[in-house]
Amino acid sequence: MATHVETGPAPAGTATAGPPPAVAASGVTKRFTGGVVANDRVTFESRRGEVHALLGENGAGKTTLCNILTGLYRPDEGDISIDGRAVHFRSPHDAHAAGIFMVHQHLSLVDSLTVAENVVLGWSRTGGVRYSPHRVEAEITEIAERYHVRVDPRARVWQLSLGERQRVDILKALYRDARILILDEPTTVLTPAEIEQLFSSVREMVAGDRTVVFISHKLPEVLEIADRVTILRKGRSVTTVERAGTDASQLARLMVGHDLAEGRVRRATAGSGSQAPLVGPRTGSFFPTGGVPTAGTSVAGIGDASGAVDSPAPAPMLRLDAVCADGDFGRQVLFDVTLGIRPGEILGIAGVAGNGQRELAEVIAGLRPHTKGSVRVGDEPLTSGDARGAIERGIAFVPEDRMGTGVSPSLSVTENLILKAYRSGAAHAGPVLLMSRADAEAVSLMERFDIRASGPHALVRQLSGGNVQKVVLARELSSEPRVVIAASPTRGLDVGATEYVRSVLVGAAERGAAIMLISEDLDEIVELSDRIAVLYEGRVAGIVDAGRCTYEELGLMMAGAA
Amino acid sequence: MSGTRTTRSVMAIAVIAALAAGCGSTGTTTAPSTGTTASVAPASVAPASVAPASVAPASVAPASSAAASVAPGASAAAAAVPSLTPDAAAKWTTSHPFKAAFIYVGAASDAGWTHAHDVGRLAVQTAFGGRVETMFKENVPEGPQCAQVITQLVNQGANIIFGTSFGFQPSFVAAAQKYPNVLFEMATGTEQSANLAEYYGAGENGDYLSGMAAGAATKNGKIGFVAPFAIPEVIREIDAYTMGARSMNPNATVQVVWTNTWFDPAKERQAAESLVAKGVDVLGDGQDSPTTGQVAAAAGLKWTGYDSNQESFAPNAWLTATTYNWGPYYTREVAAAMNGTWKTHFYYGGFNDDFVVMAPFGQSVSQATQQAILAKEAAMKAGTFDPFTGPITKQDGSIGVPAGTTLPVYTTTGLSKYSIDWFVQGVIGSAKG
Amino acid sequence: MTLRIERSLDAPRWLRVALPFLSLILAAILSGIVLELSGHDALGTYRQIYSASLTSTGGLTATFVYATPLLFTGLAVAIAFRMRVWNIGGEGQLYMGAIGASGVGLLLGGWSQPLVIVAMMAGGIVAGALWAMIPGVLRAYLQTNEILVSLMLNYVAGLAMYLLIYDSQSFWRDLTSPTALVFPQGKNLLPAATWPGIQLGSFTLPLGFVVATVLAVLLFMLVRATRFGFEMRVMADSPNAARYAGMRTKRTILAVMAISGALAGLGGASQIGDFGHVLDPRGLEQAQYGYTGIVVAALALYNPLAVVIVSIFIGALTNAGFALQGPSFPSGLVGTMEGIILFSVLGGEILGRYRLRFGREPRHVTPLDAAGAEADA
Repeated sequence: MATHVETGPAPAGTATAGPPPAVAASGVTKRFTGGVVANDRVTFESRRGEVHALLGENGAGKTTLCNILTGLYRPDEGDISIDGRAVHFRSPHDAHAAGIFMVHQHLSLVDSLTVAENVVLGWSRTGGVRYSPHRVEAEITEIAERYHVRVDPRARVWQLSLGERQRVDILKALYRDARILILDEPTTVLTPAEIEQLFSSVREMVAGDRTVVFISHKLPEVLEIADRVTILRKGRSVTTVERAGTDASQLARLMVGHDLAEGRVRRATAGSGSQAPLVGPRTGSFFPTGGVPTAGTSVAGIGDASGAVDSPAPAPMLRLDAVCADGDFGRQVLFDVTLGIRPGEILGIAGVAGNGQRELAEVIAGLRPHTKGSVRVGDEPLTSGDARGAIERGIAFVPEDRMGTGVSPSLSVTENLILKAYRSGAAHAGPVLLMSRADAEAVSLMERFDIRASGPHALVRQLSGGNVQKVVLARELSSEPRVVIAASPTRGLDVGATEYVRSVLVGAAERGAAIMLISEDLDEIVELSDRIAVLYEGRVAGIVDAGRCTYEELGLMMAGAA
Repeated sequence: MSGTRTTRSVMAIAVIAALAAGCGSTGTTTAPSTGTTASVAPASVAPASVAPASVAPASVAPASSAAASVAPGASAAAAAVPSLTPDAAAKWTTSHPFKAAFIYVGAASDAGWTHAHDVGRLAVQTAFGGRVETMFKENVPEGPQCAQVITQLVNQGANIIFGTSFGFQPSFVAAAQKYPNVLFEMATGTEQSANLAEYYGAGENGDYLSGMAAGAATKNGKIGFVAPFAIPEVIREIDAYTMGARSMNPNATVQVVWTNTWFDPAKERQAAESLVAKGVDVLGDGQDSPTTGQVAAAAGLKWTGYDSNQESFAPNAWLTATTYNWGPYYTREVAAAMNGTWKTHFYYGGFNDDFVVMAPFGQSVSQATQQAILAKEAAMKAGTFDPFTGPITKQDGSIGVPAGTTLPVYTTTGLSKYSIDWFVQGVIGSAKG
Repeated sequence: MTLRIERSLDAPRWLRVALPFLSLILAAILSGIVLELSGHDALGTYRQIYSASLTSTGGLTATFVYATPLLFTGLAVAIAFRMRVWNIGGEGQLYMGAIGASGVGLLLGGWSQPLVIVAMMAGGIVAGALWAMIPGVLRAYLQTNEILVSLMLNYVAGLAMYLLIYDSQSFWRDLTSPTALVFPQGKNLLPAATWPGIQLGSFTLPLGFVVATVLAVLLFMLVRATRFGFEMRVMADSPNAARYAGMRTKRTILAVMAISGALAGLGGASQIGDFGHVLDPRGLEQAQYGYTGIVVAALALYNPLAVVIVSIFIGALTNAGFALQGPSFPSGLVGTMEGIILFSVLGGEILGRYRLRFGREPRHVTPLDAAGAEADA
């Protein structure tokens, strides 16, 4: 890497004298209270019939720009135009009327309504035809077929997986004949197969002369789907490049402003993995500093990494024995799950989303009762559904839903850092919490874990996603846990934050914690884990050594074919 | 009717309003009011010329209806005004008026109890013109807040304060002690002191006559009665009503349903409809709203009202009603206070002084019935008849009042009209509420 | 000229402090317009409000008579709502507190005054707390809606009072005095059960108000500085996070309900001890302190210290309301003015969370306006 000659950004696609861009923003600036400039004179143009990726790290201003394009925010400066005509959206409603729709990361569907009802909710076409379920369902089915967004129009939204819900949101836009569809990091909630399906839908849409704006910070996806790429960095538009004339390293450089030292924490990657399976990557410093370059970027295959992790074969720190549990709606979702994780070991849990991963994590964390079997930490059995007991026995949990569960968003960084420790003797004198002591602790943790906030009193909801996750990690790992359950710990994070989170987990394992890493990102699991357990329909389909398995093997187990 | 009116308004609505908009009521002034009642006087105020004509020769009184005293320019009202002494006339002038204050538990526009009092207040104002300034506070809750309102009125210079609800009594007793130079009068109360007087009237006598009209009207002998609270005042009215009905139809029964509210049209409607369902063919009520009459009219039944002339609400069902005429009393009291001749008293008005007045008869009341009723009224006026003269048999068959005894209005020892707590024979229902 | 409303995530602090005052000024202007339109002298009316609630003889005392129960019920609502436990049952809890305190007061009337007072307070607290525990337990263990349960229990508590005084020969009922034969009433408490007010010249500060103010400070500190308050705040903000952190949410809900009920119950005790000295179902019911407490708490933004201020303010307003009304000033107009004030303050609070912008942008030009209107249709 870093060997490419700087070619300079390509001119931002202005050369063409063809039709006006489908959507364009010029000189758009958006400031928020507190002096944050989320967009600083951003310029962006997207043509008809193209997939245009908006690439940038978390906090680069991608979502803000799209919120402006869809009328959710008003720009402080700058102009928006659709098909060459200036527009001033006062609300998303105006934007919808202009044919521009956005599928947000946080979907806004009504759980208790059906798919069809959600699709037509708040939308009435001229003609005043009353809602006729059959007709709407037929129309939805037709659109769904054409664009490969399969979903049962009569299903209730609460019954759907996140991926399916996203399809409902897309359907909603297509049903309203969206000319421009903005997808905000659509792949974070999707399984690999679902991503493929999404991409084929996207291709179908642009073939029909629609425009898709694809927000992402994942280079492979962008390279796969985009026709052109606009890169945002720290609120500014860096440049726009043609897919054909660029490659991953150039995009990465444009995005982060410097070359990435990739693969820093990889443990079992192809090629070089066997040379430094354990110690090297685990002494990860928190942020790329340019030291110890390791493997290349290829994720094509799994090499024959060292399996010598467990030479002394200590007893498992966490042991699950024939654990069964029910899901949210009373249906059994875990069937006789038996697992063990030794101190210092990272056990990856792979599987297609919705195969019991979330419930497994919750059972261990004491947030969900198990109906059968036992969970032990060391020699102590955990009481079913006793979250406090689990915490007291040294189980740390990095939940998948970090904003909704992992933190109390309206509370300060300090308060979130003591979310569990407030019960400990050092945190209080009698009933009174010792907040100044907690603040001091918080300041030091913020430094250690690189949490970027205005101070310990900053509210967590004001932090970026990466910093929120760092708060969660700082809290969970500073307690020196014996077991760490990390569920999708890097989902939605930018490259830097992702690497950081991974290195922290690896560091915790090195200190002797037993780590369970649940992720839908197979690369991540393969890179970090010592062993990998695959969950399929609530059962352990198999446990393999990370160094000795292949993607094909894992894929077959995930698909229930092994 | 004893004035412990409730503004048990719409609590749930208040909460919802408070939650939703944050601009709910502050609890004490929930009832909407249109203020001065003269402009919204309901149909209950009959033209002065009507009442005497139909009430018949025996009760010719110049100001026999409440309406007379508010009718602008009615000479009858002017004639009834007690005269002021020259000293009083010199003392109380437009620039230095006598201040008469009224504390209402309900809204002055409630078309019932409080409204009748406010008609009385306006009669005072009309009678003395600029020499008197009348004031009122409406929707005043019973309990500690009443004491604060009295203090305010004293601060505003009130010379005499009338309270129209029994529940004000503790505050009035305390205030009478605290402010010896202010005169206090309590409607329906019992306590007296040098500057605290009591006043009310024999509504039960009117109810006896209403009961006669009902007894004459019923064909199947089943009368229903929508009653507010199981308290002596209401019980004695039902007793009198029943005895009146049975004087016309010895087999008549009066079935009672309690609403536990003075004023709540919805509950009154439910109660009345439940009685209709039980097969009664005449309805009576002791409530503040004419809802019972509307139910009766809808079912094609007859109806006796209460408090004021409510004929216009259900003309075909209308029989008659007991009404109170507070104006002349208030005018007399204010005059006495201005003249310096006011003395404490326990006033219990009746037909004689036109304090209690029967509303006009409905079209369906036969001449014979009218004659019988008027004869009883005349006997009451003459003092030769009192409904609560023994022998009176209780609901359970035991003797309530032995022969030859007449219940006193109020004594602090033993049974009185003010403390009666049992039903007479012929009432169906429990006197325990 | 256009008016834009934008969500403002974090309003500056000075604005949040200034807003209530700006809102009051706005309310004064709006009320003034209503007054002038209805033929009243606005300035004179305001002068009257001022004097009636503050400077007139007994005016300040009366203001605090009205304010005291509202302070209790306002605190009860503030503490519960703050934690997103929707206790609408302050009304019923106040009744139960009154029943409990008057029962204790009647029972122990012969004891020394301080003992009786403390016992009455305890009686009110226990009765109110137990009553609030009913919706609390149902919410915590059966996930019932505490709004409905606590609201319905208000009616039950009201009926319980009526039962004791009207429909039974209960211990609370006065069965002997002549007056009580005319109209059912409760037994009067003995002088030892009368709570002494604090006399400051002609101004009497009710003991209950002092107690409630102390409690307001304690509540403020409870929420701010204690472990329990921390759990409350986490639970209010994110129940999932609270569970995740191993907090015992059921217990905390119960505790909050109990505290809320205890406050309202103590308010009922104060009604008996400070003012009424007799269990008076009709008086308590008419006053609707429990429901008004919701308004008080909302205006105070559920801050216990602000509840003290707001309760005095609403107390003054209620007091002035009675002073203002009369033949030429219907109580409806007073209610309208009160409504305008509450609306302005709460409206101002909402606007504080958004940003109001006046701009001179031309009335554009969006080619989509028509389409938007169509979609609206």
